[in-house]
Amino acid sequence: MKKIFDKWIIYIILSLIAIPFLIMYIAFFAQAFSKGILLGIIPQKLSFSNFSFLWSTIPWGLEKTRIWGIFLNTLLFASISGLAVTVVCTLTGYALSRLEFRGKAFLLSMQLILHAVSGQILLIAIFFLLLYTKLLYKVPGVALARASLEIPLGVWMIKGFFDTVPWDIERSAMIDGCTRFQLWYKIFLPLIKPGIGAVFIWGFLFAWHDFIYVYTLLPGTVPLLSTLVQGLLATEVVDYGIIAAISLFYMLPPLFLFVFLQKALMKAPIMGGKGMA
Amino acid sequence: MRKNSLKFHSHWFFLSPSVLLVSFFYFIPVVLVFTIAFTNMDQLFSWRFVGLVNFLRLFTLKDPLIPRIIKNTIIYIISGLPLTIIGALFISLLTMRINRTASLIFRAIFFFPRLVPPVVWGFLWMWSFEGTRYGVFNSILKGFGVSPIHWFIESPMLIVICANGFLGISLAMLIFTSAIASIPKDYTWAAEIDGASFWQTSRFIIIPLLKWPIMTMTAWHLMSFINSYVYIFLITGGGPYHATEVWALYGYNSAFKNYQYGYGSSIMVILVIINLVLLLVLLKIFGMRRMIERSRIEV
Repeated sequence: MKKIFDKWIIYIILSLIAIPFLIMYIAFFAQAFSKGILLGIIPQKLSFSNFSFLWSTIPWGLEKTRIWGIFLNTLLFASISGLAVTVVCTLTGYALSRLEFRGKAFLLSMQLILHAVSGQILLIAIFFLLLYTKLLYKVPGVALARASLEIPLGVWMIKGFFDTVPWDIERSAMIDGCTRFQLWYKIFLPLIKPGIGAVFIWGFLFAWHDFIYVYTLLPGTVPLLSTLVQGLLATEVVDYGIIAAISLFYMLPPLFLFVFLQKALMKAPIMGGKGMA
Repeated sequence: MRKNSLKFHSHWFFLSPSVLLVSFFYFIPVVLVFTIAFTNMDQLFSWRFVGLVNFLRLFTLKDPLIPRIIKNTIIYIISGLPLTIIGALFISLLTMRINRTASLIFRAIFFFPRLVPPVVWGFLWMWSFEGTRYGVFNSILKGFGVSPIHWFIESPMLIVICANGFLGISLAMLIFTSAIASIPKDYTWAAEIDGASFWQTSRFIIIPLLKWPIMTMTAWHLMSFINSYVYIFLITGGGPYHATEVWALYGYNSAFKNYQYGYGSSIMVILVIINLVLLLVLLKIFGMRRMIERSRIEV
Protein backbone atom coordinates (compact mmCIF):
# COMPACT_ATOMS: atom_id res chain seq x y z
CA MET A 1 0.00 0.00 0.00
CA LYS A 2 2.77 2.36 0.97
CA LYS A 3 4.60 1.57 -2.27
CA ILE A 4 1.66 2.52 -4.46
CA PHE A 5 1.31 5.74 -2.53
CA ASP A 6 4.99 6.49 -3.13
CA LYS A 7 4.52 5.95 -6.88
CA TRP A 8 1.68 8.45 -6.95
CA ILE A 9 3.74 11.06 -5.18
CA ILE A 10 6.48 10.62 -7.79
CA TYR A 11 3.98 11.03 -10.62
CA ILE A 12 2.52 14.14 -9.03
CA ILE A 13 5.91 15.78 -8.46
CA LEU A 14 7.08 15.02 -11.99
CA SER A 15 3.83 16.27 -13.47
CA LEU A 16 4.05 19.50 -11.50
CA ILE A 17 7.49 20.17 -12.98
CA ALA A 18 6.42 19.09 -16.45
CA ILE A 19 3.11 20.96 -16.71
CA PRO A 20 4.49 24.45 -17.40
CA PHE A 21 6.59 22.98 -20.20
CA LEU A 22 3.71 20.98 -21.60
CA ILE A 23 1.63 24.14 -21.62
CA MET A 24 4.38 25.91 -23.56
CA TYR A 25 4.69 23.11 -26.11
CA ILE A 26 0.95 22.70 -26.55
CA ALA A 27 0.46 26.44 -26.92
CA PHE A 28 3.15 26.41 -29.57
CA PHE A 29 1.47 23.76 -31.71
CA ALA A 30 -2.05 25.03 -31.04
CA GLN A 31 -1.04 28.55 -32.02
CA ALA A 32 0.52 27.36 -35.28
CA PHE A 33 -2.48 25.35 -36.49
CA SER A 34 -5.42 27.50 -35.43
CA LYS A 35 -6.96 30.88 -35.99
CA GLY A 36 -7.98 31.82 -32.51
CA ILE A 37 -6.92 30.44 -29.20
CA LEU A 38 -8.76 30.00 -25.95
CA LEU A 39 -7.07 30.11 -22.56
CA GLY A 40 -3.66 30.05 -24.17
CA ILE A 41 -3.67 26.38 -25.13
CA ILE A 42 -7.09 25.41 -26.54
CA PRO A 43 -7.25 25.92 -30.31
CA GLN A 44 -10.56 27.36 -31.45
CA LYS A 45 -10.62 26.86 -35.19
CA LEU A 46 -8.30 24.54 -37.02
CA SER A 47 -6.72 26.32 -39.96
CA PHE A 48 -3.58 26.46 -42.00
CA SER A 49 -3.78 30.19 -42.60
CA ASN A 50 -0.66 30.69 -40.49
CA PHE A 51 1.23 28.63 -43.03
CA SER A 52 0.34 31.00 -45.86
CA PHE A 53 3.97 32.15 -45.87
CA LEU A 54 4.73 28.97 -47.81
CA TRP A 55 3.05 30.28 -50.95
CA SER A 56 2.82 34.02 -50.38
CA THR A 57 4.88 36.67 -48.64
CA ILE A 58 5.59 37.14 -44.94
CA PRO A 59 3.99 40.32 -43.64
CA TRP A 60 7.12 41.72 -42.06
CA GLY A 61 7.35 45.47 -41.66
CA LEU A 62 7.03 47.35 -44.93
CA GLU A 63 9.07 44.97 -47.02
CA LYS A 64 7.59 41.74 -48.20
CA THR A 65 9.80 38.77 -47.51
CA ARG A 66 9.51 35.38 -49.17
CA ILE A 67 10.41 32.26 -47.24
CA TRP A 68 11.95 30.12 -49.99
CA GLY A 69 14.92 32.37 -50.66
CA ILE A 70 15.65 32.41 -46.95
CA PHE A 71 15.17 28.65 -46.82
CA LEU A 72 17.67 28.11 -49.65
CA ASN A 73 20.21 30.38 -47.96
CA THR A 74 19.86 28.43 -44.74
CA LEU A 75 20.18 25.18 -46.66
CA LEU A 76 23.35 26.46 -48.34
CA PHE A 77 24.78 27.62 -45.03
CA ALA A 78 24.04 24.37 -43.21
CA SER A 79 25.17 22.16 -46.11
CA ILE A 80 28.53 23.91 -46.48
CA SER A 81 29.05 23.64 -42.76
CA GLY A 82 27.95 20.00 -42.70
CA LEU A 83 30.16 19.07 -45.65
CA ALA A 84 33.17 20.84 -44.18
CA VAL A 85 32.69 19.05 -40.87
CA THR A 86 32.28 15.71 -42.65
CA VAL A 87 35.36 15.98 -44.87
CA VAL A 88 37.62 17.32 -42.14
CA CYS A 89 36.40 14.87 -39.52
CA THR A 90 36.66 11.75 -41.65
CA LEU A 91 40.26 12.68 -42.49
CA THR A 92 41.24 13.51 -38.93
CA GLY A 93 39.25 10.68 -37.39
CA TYR A 94 41.22 8.18 -39.47
CA ALA A 95 44.53 9.62 -38.33
CA LEU A 96 43.47 9.61 -34.69
CA SER A 97 42.23 6.05 -34.90
CA ARG A 98 45.05 4.46 -36.88
CA LEU A 99 48.19 6.56 -36.80
CA GLU A 100 50.61 7.40 -34.03
CA PHE A 101 51.91 10.93 -33.82
CA ARG A 102 52.88 13.59 -31.34
CA GLY A 103 50.14 15.84 -30.03
CA LYS A 104 47.43 13.20 -30.34
CA ALA A 105 46.24 13.69 -26.76
CA PHE A 106 46.07 17.42 -27.31
CA LEU A 107 43.91 16.99 -30.42
CA LEU A 108 41.61 14.68 -28.52
CA SER A 109 41.22 17.17 -25.70
CA MET A 110 40.31 19.98 -28.10
CA GLN A 111 36.65 19.44 -27.40
CA LEU A 112 37.11 20.35 -23.77
CA ILE A 113 39.26 23.39 -24.53
CA LEU A 114 36.70 24.52 -27.06
CA HIS A 115 33.94 24.27 -24.49
CA ALA A 116 36.01 26.22 -21.97
CA VAL A 117 36.89 29.08 -24.30
CA SER A 118 33.88 28.81 -26.53
CA GLY A 119 33.35 30.31 -29.95
CA GLN A 120 30.75 32.64 -28.49
CA ILE A 121 33.27 34.62 -26.49
CA LEU A 122 35.69 34.78 -29.39
CA LEU A 123 33.03 36.20 -31.66
CA ILE A 124 34.52 39.70 -31.73
CA ALA A 125 37.86 38.35 -32.90
CA ILE A 126 36.19 36.09 -35.47
CA PHE A 127 34.32 39.11 -36.75
CA PHE A 128 37.61 40.92 -37.39
CA LEU A 129 39.28 37.83 -38.79
CA LEU A 130 36.52 37.43 -41.36
CA LEU A 131 36.56 41.16 -42.04
CA TYR A 132 40.24 41.14 -42.96
CA THR A 133 40.05 37.93 -44.97
CA LYS A 134 37.08 39.33 -46.92
CA LEU A 135 34.84 36.50 -45.75
CA LEU A 136 32.57 38.60 -43.57
CA TYR A 137 28.92 38.89 -44.66
CA LYS A 138 29.38 35.91 -46.99
CA VAL A 139 27.54 32.66 -46.40
CA PRO A 140 30.44 30.25 -47.18
CA GLY A 141 32.90 32.07 -44.95
CA VAL A 142 30.57 32.16 -41.98
CA ALA A 143 29.62 28.53 -42.60
CA LEU A 144 33.29 27.54 -42.38
CA ALA A 145 33.72 29.51 -39.16
CA ARG A 146 30.67 27.72 -37.76
CA ALA A 147 31.97 24.34 -38.92
CA SER A 148 35.21 24.75 -37.02
CA LEU A 149 33.26 24.67 -33.75
CA GLU A 150 31.81 21.23 -34.40
CA ILE A 151 35.04 19.60 -35.54
CA PRO A 152 36.40 18.47 -32.14
CA LEU A 153 33.27 16.58 -31.18
CA GLY A 154 32.70 15.36 -34.74
CA VAL A 155 36.20 13.88 -34.73
CA TRP A 156 35.33 11.98 -31.56
CA MET A 157 32.19 10.58 -33.13
CA ILE A 158 33.84 9.40 -36.32
CA LYS A 159 36.90 8.02 -34.51
CA GLY A 160 34.58 5.56 -32.79
CA PHE A 161 33.47 4.28 -36.20
CA PHE A 162 37.04 3.99 -37.49
CA ASP A 163 37.96 2.04 -34.37
CA THR A 164 35.44 -0.68 -35.23
CA VAL A 165 37.07 -1.53 -38.57
CA PRO A 166 39.34 -4.56 -38.08
CA TRP A 167 43.07 -4.08 -38.57
CA ASP A 168 43.18 -7.18 -40.80
CA ILE A 169 41.29 -5.41 -43.57
CA GLU A 170 43.74 -2.56 -43.45
CA ARG A 171 46.76 -4.84 -43.43
CA SER A 172 45.60 -6.98 -46.34
CA ALA A 173 44.83 -3.87 -48.37
CA MET A 174 48.30 -2.53 -47.66
CA ILE A 175 49.88 -5.81 -48.70
CA ASP A 176 47.93 -5.52 -51.94
CA GLY A 177 49.66 -2.20 -52.49
CA CYS A 178 47.21 0.41 -51.24
CA THR A 179 48.59 3.78 -50.27
CA ARG A 180 47.32 5.42 -47.11
CA PHE A 181 45.02 7.66 -49.08
CA GLN A 182 43.63 4.82 -51.18
CA LEU A 183 43.13 2.86 -47.98
CA TRP A 184 41.17 5.70 -46.47
CA TYR A 185 39.16 6.40 -49.58
CA LYS A 186 38.52 2.92 -50.97
CA ILE A 187 38.49 0.71 -47.88
CA PHE A 188 37.50 2.78 -44.88
CA LEU A 189 34.94 5.25 -46.23
CA PRO A 190 32.56 2.57 -47.58
CA LEU A 191 32.81 0.71 -44.30
CA ILE A 192 31.95 3.67 -42.07
CA LYS A 193 29.04 5.12 -44.07
CA PRO A 194 26.78 5.30 -41.00
CA GLY A 195 29.47 7.31 -39.23
CA ILE A 196 29.80 9.70 -42.16
CA GLY A 197 26.05 10.21 -42.10
CA ALA A 198 26.09 10.86 -38.37
CA VAL A 199 28.85 13.44 -38.63
CA PHE A 200 27.15 15.16 -41.55
CA ILE A 201 23.91 15.40 -39.61
CA TRP A 202 25.87 16.70 -36.64
CA GLY A 203 27.50 19.51 -38.62
CA PHE A 204 24.34 20.28 -40.57
CA LEU A 205 22.09 20.38 -37.53
CA PHE A 206 24.22 22.76 -35.50
CA ALA A 207 24.68 25.12 -38.41
CA TRP A 208 20.95 24.94 -39.16
CA HIS A 209 20.13 25.77 -35.57
CA ASP A 210 22.82 28.39 -35.12
CA PHE A 211 21.76 31.87 -34.27
CA ILE A 212 24.53 34.04 -32.85
CA TYR A 213 27.09 33.46 -35.61
CA VAL A 214 24.52 34.07 -38.31
CA TYR A 215 23.11 37.10 -36.55
CA THR A 216 26.50 38.71 -35.96
CA LEU A 217 28.48 37.74 -39.02
CA LEU A 218 25.89 37.88 -41.79
CA PRO A 219 24.29 41.18 -42.76
CA GLY A 220 20.64 41.88 -41.99
CA THR A 221 19.86 41.74 -45.70
CA VAL A 222 20.70 38.02 -45.80
CA PRO A 223 18.40 36.54 -43.17
CA LEU A 224 18.51 32.83 -42.50
CA LEU A 225 15.60 31.05 -40.86
CA SER A 226 16.96 31.59 -37.34
CA THR A 227 17.50 35.31 -37.83
CA LEU A 228 14.13 35.55 -39.57
CA VAL A 229 12.32 34.17 -36.53
CA GLN A 230 14.29 36.48 -34.25
CA GLY A 231 13.63 39.44 -36.54
CA LEU A 232 9.91 38.75 -36.55
CA LEU A 233 9.93 38.55 -32.77
CA ALA A 234 11.83 41.81 -32.47
CA THR A 235 9.37 43.80 -34.62
CA GLU A 236 6.39 42.74 -32.49
CA VAL A 237 3.81 43.48 -35.16
CA VAL A 238 3.45 39.95 -36.47
CA ASP A 239 1.10 37.74 -34.52
CA TYR A 240 2.44 34.74 -32.68
CA GLY A 241 0.57 32.27 -34.87
CA ILE A 242 2.76 33.08 -37.85
CA ILE A 243 5.97 32.96 -35.80
CA ALA A 244 4.94 29.59 -34.38
CA ALA A 245 4.20 28.30 -37.89
CA ILE A 246 7.54 29.54 -39.25
CA SER A 247 9.32 28.03 -36.25
CA LEU A 248 7.70 24.68 -36.99
CA PHE A 249 8.74 24.97 -40.64
CA TYR A 250 12.24 25.81 -39.43
CA MET A 251 12.42 22.74 -37.20
CA LEU A 252 11.30 20.20 -39.80
CA PRO A 253 14.18 19.88 -42.35
CA PRO A 254 16.75 18.40 -39.93
CA LEU A 255 14.14 15.81 -39.03
CA PHE A 256 13.59 14.89 -42.69
CA LEU A 257 17.32 14.77 -43.27
CA PHE A 258 17.74 12.46 -40.33
CA VAL A 259 15.05 10.04 -41.53
CA PHE A 260 16.33 10.16 -45.10
CA LEU A 261 19.99 9.65 -44.24
CA GLN A 262 19.24 6.99 -41.70
CA LYS A 263 17.56 4.85 -44.35
CA ALA A 264 20.36 5.37 -46.82
CA LEU A 265 23.25 4.93 -44.47
CA MET A 266 22.25 2.35 -41.93
CA LYS A 267 22.75 -0.32 -44.57
CA ALA A 268 26.20 -1.30 -43.39
CA PRO A 269 28.01 -3.45 -45.97
CA ILE A 270 28.44 -7.08 -45.13
CA MET A 271 31.98 -7.52 -43.96
CA GLY A 272 33.83 -10.78 -44.37
CA GLY A 273 36.95 -9.79 -42.52
CA LYS A 274 38.47 -12.00 -39.88
CA GLY A 275 37.40 -11.05 -36.41
CA MET A 276 34.15 -9.46 -37.49
CA ALA A 277 31.14 -10.28 -35.43
CA MET B 1 64.32 5.96 -41.41
CA ARG B 2 62.43 5.97 -44.69
CA LYS B 3 59.44 4.49 -42.96
CA ASN B 4 59.42 7.29 -40.42
CA SER B 5 59.47 10.03 -42.99
CA LEU B 6 56.62 8.34 -44.87
CA LYS B 7 54.57 8.18 -41.70
CA PHE B 8 55.18 11.85 -41.07
CA HIS B 9 53.80 12.78 -44.46
CA SER B 10 50.75 10.58 -44.25
CA HIS B 11 49.54 11.78 -40.89
CA TRP B 12 49.98 15.40 -41.85
CA PHE B 13 47.91 14.82 -44.94
CA PHE B 14 45.05 13.58 -42.78
CA LEU B 15 45.46 16.14 -40.04
CA SER B 16 46.15 19.34 -41.92
CA PRO B 17 42.53 20.28 -42.79
CA SER B 18 41.34 20.13 -39.21
CA VAL B 19 44.47 21.71 -37.80
CA LEU B 20 44.22 24.54 -40.32
CA LEU B 21 40.52 25.15 -39.80
CA VAL B 22 40.62 24.97 -36.02
CA SER B 23 43.70 27.14 -35.71
CA PHE B 24 42.36 29.66 -38.20
CA PHE B 25 38.96 30.03 -36.58
CA TYR B 26 40.01 29.30 -33.06
CA PHE B 27 43.62 29.90 -32.08
CA ILE B 28 44.10 32.99 -34.19
CA PRO B 29 40.92 34.54 -32.70
CA VAL B 30 42.27 33.90 -29.20
CA VAL B 31 45.40 35.88 -30.09
CA LEU B 32 43.33 38.48 -31.90
CA VAL B 33 40.96 39.08 -28.99
CA PHE B 34 43.94 39.71 -26.72
CA THR B 35 45.32 42.19 -29.26
CA ILE B 36 42.07 44.07 -29.86
CA ALA B 37 41.60 44.39 -26.10
CA PHE B 38 44.52 46.84 -26.02
CA THR B 39 43.10 49.09 -28.74
CA ASN B 40 40.17 51.46 -28.76
CA MET B 41 38.72 49.82 -31.84
CA ASP B 42 35.34 51.24 -32.87
CA GLN B 43 33.26 51.25 -36.01
CA LEU B 44 36.06 53.01 -37.91
CA PHE B 45 38.14 49.81 -37.57
CA SER B 46 41.38 51.72 -36.94
CA TRP B 47 44.07 50.11 -34.83
CA ARG B 48 45.09 52.58 -32.13
CA PHE B 49 46.82 50.93 -29.23
CA VAL B 50 45.82 52.57 -25.99
CA GLY B 51 47.54 50.28 -23.53
CA LEU B 52 45.59 49.28 -20.48
CA VAL B 53 42.82 51.89 -20.80
CA ASN B 54 40.09 49.30 -21.41
CA PHE B 55 41.15 47.22 -18.44
CA LEU B 56 41.45 50.26 -16.20
CA ARG B 57 37.92 51.18 -17.17
CA LEU B 58 36.84 47.72 -16.02
CA PHE B 59 38.78 47.48 -12.79
CA THR B 60 38.58 51.01 -11.49
CA LEU B 61 34.80 50.95 -11.98
CA LYS B 62 34.78 53.92 -14.35
CA ASP B 63 31.98 52.07 -16.06
CA PRO B 64 29.00 52.48 -13.70
CA LEU B 65 27.38 49.31 -15.03
CA ILE B 66 30.17 46.95 -14.01
CA PRO B 67 29.11 46.30 -10.36
CA ARG B 68 25.62 45.51 -11.58
CA ILE B 69 26.89 43.16 -14.29
CA ILE B 70 29.11 41.33 -11.80
CA LYS B 71 26.20 40.98 -9.39
CA ASN B 72 23.97 39.65 -12.17
CA THR B 73 26.60 37.17 -13.31
CA ILE B 74 27.11 35.83 -9.81
CA ILE B 75 23.37 35.47 -9.21
CA TYR B 76 22.98 33.83 -12.59
CA ILE B 77 25.70 31.27 -11.98
CA ILE B 78 25.08 30.45 -8.33
CA SER B 79 21.39 29.88 -8.86
CA GLY B 80 21.53 28.43 -12.36
CA LEU B 81 24.16 25.81 -11.68
CA PRO B 82 22.46 24.17 -8.66
CA LEU B 83 19.13 24.30 -10.50
CA THR B 84 20.70 22.39 -13.38
CA ILE B 85 22.54 19.77 -11.36
CA ILE B 86 20.07 19.21 -8.53
CA GLY B 87 17.10 19.47 -10.89
CA ALA B 88 18.58 16.94 -13.30
CA LEU B 89 19.51 14.61 -10.47
CA PHE B 90 16.06 14.90 -8.94
CA ILE B 91 14.28 14.26 -12.23
CA SER B 92 16.49 11.32 -13.16
CA LEU B 93 16.12 9.73 -9.71
CA LEU B 94 12.36 10.08 -9.91
CA THR B 95 12.01 8.86 -13.49
CA MET B 96 14.05 5.76 -12.71
CA ARG B 97 11.44 4.73 -10.14
CA ILE B 98 8.34 4.73 -12.33
CA ASN B 99 7.38 2.46 -15.20
CA ARG B 100 9.22 2.62 -18.49
CA THR B 101 6.62 4.27 -20.69
CA ALA B 102 5.83 7.01 -18.20
CA SER B 103 9.48 7.74 -17.56
CA LEU B 104 10.15 7.93 -21.30
CA ILE B 105 7.33 10.45 -21.69
CA PHE B 106 8.64 12.61 -18.86
CA ARG B 107 12.18 12.42 -20.15
CA ALA B 108 11.02 13.37 -23.64
CA ILE B 109 9.34 16.46 -22.20
CA PHE B 110 12.51 17.50 -20.43
CA PHE B 111 14.74 16.61 -23.36
CA PHE B 112 12.77 18.71 -25.83
CA PRO B 113 14.86 21.90 -25.21
CA ARG B 114 17.91 20.16 -26.74
CA LEU B 115 15.99 19.36 -29.91
CA VAL B 116 14.57 22.77 -30.70
CA PRO B 117 16.76 25.51 -32.15
CA PRO B 118 17.88 28.23 -29.69
CA VAL B 119 15.72 30.80 -31.45
CA VAL B 120 12.60 28.70 -30.97
CA TRP B 121 13.42 27.95 -27.33
CA GLY B 122 13.92 31.65 -26.77
CA PHE B 123 10.68 32.41 -28.58
CA LEU B 124 8.78 29.93 -26.40
CA TRP B 125 9.96 31.59 -23.21
CA MET B 126 9.56 35.11 -24.47
CA TRP B 127 6.05 34.44 -25.63
CA SER B 128 4.93 32.33 -22.66
CA PHE B 129 5.90 34.99 -20.17
CA GLU B 130 4.84 38.00 -22.19
CA GLY B 131 3.48 40.76 -20.02
CA THR B 132 0.37 41.46 -22.10
CA ARG B 133 -2.75 39.33 -22.23
CA TYR B 134 -1.35 37.57 -25.32
CA GLY B 135 1.28 35.74 -23.34
CA VAL B 136 0.53 32.04 -22.80
CA PHE B 137 0.50 32.08 -19.01
CA ASN B 138 -1.27 35.41 -18.84
CA SER B 139 -4.06 34.21 -21.12
CA ILE B 140 -4.51 31.15 -18.90
CA LEU B 141 -4.59 33.40 -15.83
CA LYS B 142 -7.14 35.59 -17.58
CA GLY B 143 -9.45 32.58 -17.71
CA PHE B 144 -9.32 32.53 -13.93
CA GLY B 145 -9.94 36.27 -13.73
CA VAL B 146 -6.38 37.27 -12.83
CA SER B 147 -5.09 40.43 -14.46
CA PRO B 148 -1.94 40.08 -16.62
CA ILE B 149 1.32 39.82 -14.72
CA HIS B 150 4.39 41.58 -16.14
CA TRP B 151 6.69 38.61 -15.71
CA PHE B 152 9.66 40.24 -17.41
CA ILE B 153 9.48 43.30 -15.19
CA GLU B 154 8.75 41.41 -11.97
CA SER B 155 11.43 38.72 -12.20
CA PRO B 156 13.40 38.76 -15.44
CA MET B 157 16.40 37.01 -13.90
CA LEU B 158 14.33 34.07 -12.73
CA ILE B 159 12.94 33.50 -16.24
CA VAL B 160 16.40 33.62 -17.79
CA ILE B 161 17.81 31.26 -15.16
CA CYS B 162 14.99 28.76 -15.69
CA ALA B 163 15.28 28.90 -19.48
CA ASN B 164 19.01 28.17 -19.28
CA GLY B 165 18.70 25.82 -16.35
CA PHE B 166 16.22 23.54 -18.06
CA LEU B 167 18.39 23.50 -21.13
CA GLY B 168 21.22 22.29 -18.93
CA ILE B 169 18.90 19.81 -17.23
CA SER B 170 18.14 18.14 -20.56
CA LEU B 171 21.80 17.19 -21.04
CA ALA B 172 22.61 16.42 -17.41
CA MET B 173 19.46 14.29 -17.11
CA LEU B 174 20.58 12.20 -20.07
CA ILE B 175 23.99 11.58 -18.50
CA PHE B 176 22.59 10.86 -15.04
CA THR B 177 19.87 8.47 -16.18
CA SER B 178 22.32 6.44 -18.23
CA ALA B 179 24.70 6.38 -15.26
CA ILE B 180 21.93 5.31 -12.88
CA ALA B 181 20.84 2.61 -15.32
CA SER B 182 24.36 1.18 -15.27
CA ILE B 183 24.38 0.76 -11.48
CA PRO B 184 23.86 -2.94 -10.66
CA LYS B 185 20.33 -3.52 -9.41
CA ASP B 186 21.63 -5.59 -6.48
CA TYR B 187 22.74 -2.47 -4.65
CA THR B 188 19.36 -0.78 -4.60
CA TRP B 189 17.48 -4.04 -4.01
CA ALA B 190 19.67 -4.86 -1.04
CA ALA B 191 19.01 -1.41 0.37
CA GLU B 192 15.28 -1.76 -0.15
CA ILE B 193 15.20 -5.13 1.58
CA ASP B 194 16.97 -3.49 4.51
CA GLY B 195 14.09 -1.04 4.60
CA ALA B 196 15.73 2.02 3.10
CA SER B 197 13.34 4.70 1.90
CA PHE B 198 13.53 6.33 -1.53
CA TRP B 199 15.42 9.25 -0.05
CA GLN B 200 17.85 6.99 1.81
CA THR B 201 18.54 4.82 -1.24
CA SER B 202 19.21 7.91 -3.33
CA ARG B 203 21.30 9.66 -0.75
CA PHE B 204 23.46 6.80 0.45
CA ILE B 205 23.59 4.41 -2.52
CA ILE B 206 22.96 6.13 -5.84
CA ILE B 207 24.41 9.61 -5.39
CA PRO B 208 27.80 8.40 -4.06
CA LEU B 209 28.04 6.10 -7.08
CA LEU B 210 27.27 9.01 -9.40
CA LYS B 211 30.16 11.07 -8.05
CA TRP B 212 32.03 11.33 -11.35
CA PRO B 213 29.08 12.10 -13.61
CA ILE B 214 27.92 14.76 -11.15
CA MET B 215 31.35 16.35 -10.95
CA THR B 216 31.91 16.37 -14.70
CA MET B 217 28.44 17.75 -15.37
CA THR B 218 28.98 20.46 -12.75
CA ALA B 219 32.23 21.46 -14.39
CA TRP B 220 30.69 21.36 -17.85
CA HIS B 221 27.69 23.46 -16.92
CA LEU B 222 29.75 25.88 -14.87
CA MET B 223 31.60 26.69 -18.06
CA SER B 224 28.34 26.88 -19.99
CA PHE B 225 26.87 29.33 -17.52
CA ILE B 226 29.97 31.50 -17.60
CA ASN B 227 30.24 31.54 -21.38
CA SER B 228 26.83 31.33 -22.93
CA TYR B 229 24.75 34.38 -23.52
CA VAL B 230 22.77 33.39 -26.59
CA TYR B 231 19.61 32.49 -24.71
CA ILE B 232 19.66 35.62 -22.58
CA PHE B 233 20.26 37.62 -25.72
CA LEU B 234 17.23 36.01 -27.36
CA ILE B 235 14.85 36.15 -24.41
CA THR B 236 15.53 39.54 -22.83
CA GLY B 237 18.49 40.98 -24.71
CA GLY B 238 19.97 41.86 -21.30
CA GLY B 239 17.05 44.07 -20.36
CA PRO B 240 14.92 45.43 -18.87
CA TYR B 241 17.48 48.08 -17.89
CA HIS B 242 20.41 45.65 -17.71
CA ALA B 243 18.58 43.48 -15.17
CA THR B 244 19.64 40.27 -16.92
CA GLU B 245 22.88 41.42 -18.48
CA VAL B 246 25.66 39.02 -17.55
CA TRP B 247 29.38 39.42 -18.16
CA ALA B 248 29.58 37.57 -21.49
CA LEU B 249 26.49 39.30 -22.85
CA TYR B 250 27.84 42.67 -21.77
CA GLY B 251 30.98 41.95 -23.77
CA TYR B 252 28.89 41.09 -26.80
CA ASN B 253 26.66 44.13 -26.46
CA SER B 254 29.61 46.48 -25.92
CA ALA B 255 31.13 45.27 -29.15
CA PHE B 256 28.19 44.77 -31.47
CA LYS B 257 25.59 47.13 -30.03
CA ASN B 258 27.74 50.04 -28.85
CA TYR B 259 30.50 49.38 -31.42
CA GLN B 260 33.20 49.51 -28.74
CA TYR B 261 35.06 46.49 -30.07
CA GLY B 262 38.16 47.23 -28.00
CA TYR B 263 36.25 47.47 -24.75
CA GLY B 264 34.16 44.41 -25.61
CA SER B 265 37.33 42.44 -26.32
CA SER B 266 38.81 43.37 -22.97
CA ILE B 267 35.66 42.05 -21.29
CA MET B 268 35.96 38.82 -23.26
CA VAL B 269 39.68 38.55 -22.44
CA ILE B 270 38.79 38.43 -18.75
CA LEU B 271 36.44 35.55 -19.57
CA VAL B 272 39.10 33.73 -21.59
CA ILE B 273 41.53 34.01 -18.67
CA ILE B 274 38.92 32.86 -16.13
CA ASN B 275 38.08 29.90 -18.34
CA LEU B 276 41.67 28.87 -18.88
CA VAL B 277 42.37 29.00 -15.15
CA LEU B 278 39.20 27.00 -14.52
CA LEU B 279 40.22 24.49 -17.16
CA LEU B 280 43.64 24.01 -15.56
CA VAL B 281 42.07 23.55 -12.13
CA LEU B 282 39.61 21.03 -13.54
CA LEU B 283 42.33 19.11 -15.35
CA LYS B 284 44.23 18.99 -12.08
CA ILE B 285 41.18 17.55 -10.31
CA PHE B 286 39.98 15.16 -12.96
CA GLY B 287 43.11 14.32 -14.87
CA MET B 288 43.29 14.72 -18.63
CA ARG B 289 42.41 11.12 -19.39
CA ARG B 290 39.19 11.09 -17.49
CA MET B 291 38.04 14.35 -19.01
CA ILE B 292 38.72 13.08 -22.49
CA GLU B 293 37.05 9.74 -21.96
CA ARG B 294 33.96 11.26 -20.46
CA SER B 295 33.02 12.75 -23.80
CA ARG B 296 32.20 9.28 -25.05
CA ILE B 297 28.89 9.28 -23.22
CA GLU B 298 27.96 12.76 -24.23
CA VAL B 299 26.66 13.01 -27.76
